[in-house]
Amino acid sequence: MGFLVPAFLAGFVAVVVPIVLHLRHRDKDTPHRFPSLMFVERLPIRTAQRRRITDWPLLLLRALAITLLVLAFARPLWSRPGVIRSSQGDRTVIVLLDRSMSMGHTGVWPRAVEEARRAIAGLGTTDRVALVLFDDEAEIAQALTTDKNLALAALANAKTGTAGTRFAAGLRAARQIATDARTGSAPIDVVLVTDMQRSGLSGLAGLEIPSTMRVRTVGLSPTTPRANASVAVTEARPIANAGRERLAVTAHVTSRSMGPGRPMTAMLRLNGRPSGTRVLTVNATGDTKIAFEPVAIPVGLVRGEVTIDADSLAADDTARFTLTSNDEVRVLLVAPDDAERDETLYIERALAVGRAPSVRLQRVRPSAIDADELRDVALVLLWDSPLPNGRALDALRAWTTRGGGLVQLAGRRLGRRSSSATLLPASVSSVADRSDDRGGSLGDVRIDHPLLAPFRETPAALVAPRFLRHARLDPANGGEVVARFDDGSAAIVERTEGTGRVIELGMPLDARAGDFPLQPAYVPFVRRLVLYATGRAATPLARGTGESWLLPAAAREPVVSTPDGSIVRPTRDSRATSVPLRTAGIYALHDGQTRGTPVAELAVNTPAAESDLATITDADLLAGIRRGDASTMTSEAPPAPAEIERRQGLWRIVIGVLVVLLLLEMLMASRGWRAVANPVTSVPSSGEGS
Amino acid sequence: MPTAPASFLDPAMLARISDLALLARTVVDGFMHGHHRSMRKGSSTDFAQHRAYQPGDDLRRIDWRLLGRTDRFYMKEFEADTNASVLFALDSSASMDYGSKGVTKYDYGRFLIASLAWLSQQQGDRVGLATFKGDIVDVVPPSVRHLQLLLHTLGRSKATGAGSLATPVQRLAHMTRKAGITVLVTDCYESPEELGRCADALRMRGQDLIIFHVVDAAERDFPFTAAATFEDSESKTRIAVRPDDLRKRYLEQARAHHAAVAKRLVASGADFVRVDTDQPLDRALHAYLDRRLARSRVR
Repeated sequence: MGFLVPAFLAGFVAVVVPIVLHLRHRDKDTPHRFPSLMFVERLPIRTAQRRRITDWPLLLLRALAITLLVLAFARPLWSRPGVIRSSQGDRTVIVLLDRSMSMGHTGVWPRAVEEARRAIAGLGTTDRVALVLFDDEAEIAQALTTDKNLALAALANAKTGTAGTRFAAGLRAARQIATDARTGSAPIDVVLVTDMQRSGLSGLAGLEIPSTMRVRTVGLSPTTPRANASVAVTEARPIANAGRERLAVTAHVTSRSMGPGRPMTAMLRLNGRPSGTRVLTVNATGDTKIAFEPVAIPVGLVRGEVTIDADSLAADDTARFTLTSNDEVRVLLVAPDDAERDETLYIERALAVGRAPSVRLQRVRPSAIDADELRDVALVLLWDSPLPNGRALDALRAWTTRGGGLVQLAGRRLGRRSSSATLLPASVSSVADRSDDRGGSLGDVRIDHPLLAPFRETPAALVAPRFLRHARLDPANGGEVVARFDDGSAAIVERTEGTGRVIELGMPLDARAGDFPLQPAYVPFVRRLVLYATGRAATPLARGTGESWLLPAAAREPVVSTPDGSIVRPTRDSRATSVPLRTAGIYALHDGQTRGTPVAELAVNTPAAESDLATITDADLLAGIRRGDASTMTSEAPPAPAEIERRQGLWRIVIGVLVVLLLLEMLMASRGWRAVANPVTSVPSSGEGS
Repeated sequence: MPTAPASFLDPAMLARISDLALLARTVVDGFMHGHHRSMRKGSSTDFAQHRAYQPGDDLRRIDWRLLGRTDRFYMKEFEADTNASVLFALDSSASMDYGSKGVTKYDYGRFLIASLAWLSQQQGDRVGLATFKGDIVDVVPPSVRHLQLLLHTLGRSKATGAGSLATPVQRLAHMTRKAGITVLVTDCYESPEELGRCADALRMRGQDLIIFHVVDAAERDFPFTAAATFEDSESKTRIAVRPDDLRKRYLEQARAHHAAVAKRLVASGADFVRVDTDQPLDRALHAYLDRRLARSRVR
């Protein structure tokens, strides 16, 4: 038992108040004032009676009243639910039923349902049972009940999904039920009905379950490996073919435990129309690449899917993707006249990587910048080049204000000029030669900045590159430093101009002044730099179930239609709005209403790991689970409001008892001999009369 | 010695007189009624001024040297000289603020001091006042012109708080530079030894000491019958007592204390006069005059 406001327990000190008052109790009549009691004090009068407690019942009553008052204010709380003892022999069983995509393998799901039904039906009338359905998340289909029919009804409504497997989710739900069941030391049987897929072990290591929870698995997987083939679209990019832009789609078929040299047909559909077919022969185990013939790209949003011949697990035989035609970012690379071709080789190649959007790089001379050239350009990349002057600068400023992105890469040329301009977030004061200390590196990186979002999980990748020479930037015009070198000088400075972003880079992006282009962080950094500066976000071809969709800001009132036909209206607040992706298929984002052309679409496929039907043993499953003391096991989920109220409701009882006590005290203090003033009595001492 | 009419000295009657000067005058006039011999003693030797001779002047006061130089008769005038310096010390502790029959001990002490001061003034003595409780509260230095100030100070003083005799009396002893008379009015709620030490301190400074022990009738007789809680006026100590059970022992204690105090003070050479607040003031006045006359004879 605990207390909601334990600080009020300090009020227990007040218990001494009635005791002190009792001991210091004086007669109710006015004392007789006398000049001096010098002679009286010399007389042996027994006054000890005054220092004794003479009215124990009243004192205890008042002390108890104060104690109860303090307890009521401290809000006693049943922090540990009371243990409900089931009668002798009663069992508590939690059935965990795996409903992941792999359970859709031929014949597995009916067996699983039958095993679960058998586990439920085999219980006695007083036994309690709960049903939990789980894939990568868990759903308590039926809380603990003695009514087996409820559990069977919930089981009848269960069906497989397209999500992955995560045993930890199911076991955590079972632990939650076990904790809430308040069964004390009574054992709880957990029946885990699953195909024991290896990929489901994720997150299981270190999971703690009560020692009273006995996990029993009902393995459904055959002793021999199950054959399965799955398909995934790896690339869908526009290409120029015979002067026309076409879409080249590449897919991979992954086969596991298939028969040798098995023929298979793969079909490409774009917006529901067959757009290509390939016949292939897949190996027993391994990947087979499918490159469809380039096809004409439909206008606007494109929904595509690649389907292979159905096998025992049909859910992963279709791979969906979405893209937007003409989804590219045009970038002007403004290089100085004396720049050699290989100086910009790495950045050109790096920006050529990636689709949705793809980057179309155009190299121009500084003098070529004008308003016409900036039309349809998303980003201007000044490669060690100063800002243009005159009308070109005005055009560039106006274009930036309207949302264009401007990035200046400061190198040795700008370092000599000591340039400064009001449009740029920093001025270049000099070039630092770090050859003596084997090159500098990034030292202070704001990893939470959106520009560096790809490196939040691996921030060390950003500090690995060494820079032999780099520009020294002096932030100006309200420039915000995103990253600094290890010597404290600014490396990346950013500011906004209107709705556009202007970024100054002091770190060299070529291989002459450092090894950044040779580092793994180079390509994601350069691509992210372009996307961030242009205000774009990368759109994947598809995502997997279990992930979430960060909705683009284009929709003011986002409405998302899901593959199962339901409508989701996510709440838009100050943070980014996202929608959980639970079902494989096409999610469509609309603005306000679901009619009309979607604002964006996203294809969701089954997770690739779920297609791997490799299994584990019971020992593998239980190896990472820790057994904890059932008494110390706490519930992860917050208790229900009714439960909270029940746990805190003790104060009402305390107040009720307190009121009764006060009434009793009033009666005792105002009736009988207590109602009159205590007569003053002096008790003659033993020495009286001597 | 003739006795004054009781109506002029009855404390209950005096309590109706708010003006201490009038009260003192009433007391003294009433008390002195019937006294025919002059109480005035001696004369001054301090020269004050010359004045022209008037027929009938005492020829012994003619300044003969001035006559030799100026051939005119001038009379030498002297400051009136007092015979003694009388300091009245009044106990102002809270125990004095008690009176079971209308007049508190403190009021009685004030009447007594006012009357004695008036009487002393009539005789040309310097009169002063000190009120004290734990320490000295008010001091009026002895002077022939301080009677009104004394009476005024006496009138506004109040008896409050806890008190003791040792500290204030020691300080009074240090304040008295000339030999004189100290009149101490107190209820003597101190140990006899402590009172004796106080008397010794004053006697060592050449002071004739008269101690008026003011006793209320209730303190004297302890007439209470009903059981009650008694509270000490100074320490605020409360004791529940049943007076009937205690009276005998209380009176024994009180009498023993009074006897011990008297014995110790007499041993110190002080005059110890017990005055009861329900008795007229004449006894106190007589005691004072006796001491005053005795001092005159000594000088």
